[in-house]
Amino acid sequence: MENKKVMKKKTIGLILVIIIVAIGALRVGKELPTIGDLNTPANTNISRYYISNAENDTHAQNIVTAVLADYRGFDTLFETCVLFLSGIAAMVILSDKKKIPEKSREELLAYHKDSNFGSKLMDGAFRIVVPIILIYAVYVLFHGEVSLGGGFQAGALIACAYLLNRIIPNFENAFRKVKVEISLIAAGIGAFFFVLTGFIPMLYGGRFMEFDHLPFHADTLSDLHADGILMVEIGVTVCVAGVIITILEVVLERTDFDD
Amino acid sequence: MPILLLEGILLMAMIAIAISIIVGRKLLSATIIYCAFSLAAMILYTIAGAADVAFTEAIIGTISTVYFIIAIKSIRKSSLKSDGENNISDDISEREEDGK
Repeated sequence: MENKKVMKKKTIGLILVIIIVAIGALRVGKELPTIGDLNTPANTNISRYYISNAENDTHAQNIVTAVLADYRGFDTLFETCVLFLSGIAAMVILSDKKKIPEKSREELLAYHKDSNFGSKLMDGAFRIVVPIILIYAVYVLFHGEVSLGGGFQAGALIACAYLLNRIIPNFENAFRKVKVEISLIAAGIGAFFFVLTGFIPMLYGGRFMEFDHLPFHADTLSDLHADGILMVEIGVTVCVAGVIITILEVVLERTDFDD
Repeated sequence: MPILLLEGILLMAMIAIAISIIVGRKLLSATIIYCAFSLAAMILYTIAGAADVAFTEAIIGTISTVYFIIAIKSIRKSSLKSDGENNISDDISEREEDGK
């Protein structure tokens, strides 16, 4: 009986807090400028420079990718490092649970005898879609400068294709999985490649991540910037795909779905 | 700039979806409704003109929903109320005590 009284008090307190925060937020929201206003400091000073100069400095028609990887590349570097840290944190948090013992080949053969989804539609659809998503991921990565996309989207698409493949119940598919150590090392290599792209200009007389001094053969300066953006995006893609696959495998190798 | 009609309908729908996630009884249905929340947010981002963000939200919405379902299914059933499903019980004294 006491539990019900305590829960009623907590519910009333929660609703009061929600109402107070909502009223406060609505009153503060009136002071902010409207979306798309032309007189804000961001739109008068820095956005005009980006809009008018982004295609001349880099060969990128997608201004978002140019700002993310070239003008503000330092922020993207630390975002990538935080992503890698979250992969390590997922491993650390779940390290107390014991791994389930791996089944041998004969046990898996007996377990997966005639196992499929149960309907021909899902059998065919899952197997067709996986390579299409992988090709689309490579397209999104390399066309990030022209159309939508970029590094983060491509990495997430690769992990989505791997997840879709892992769900298929089949004997041959039970061996197509990635170990946690390998995917975590791959994520680290991606982040390291990003830092290497920033470090190389320092050996050739520039500052950190100054793409004007990259030692590649190019006609104009904007070609060098386009090369630098491509290397940055590749590093981000590998890191994101590695982290998402790591988080999946860490949970799946410690769970037995049969009890 | 006045608020568009479609934006207004979507924002109301987001509030309704959020309330139904909190009030719902089964954990599995709350996860599926979270996917609908992600869809409404994605349409709002497209209307506001940020197409890259909408693309990312579409991918991350599906991935995070699947991960939530995997996490819910991997909870051992012996430590919750023993009716075979993951329900949220209002009466705390009905839960079985399992010595850790």
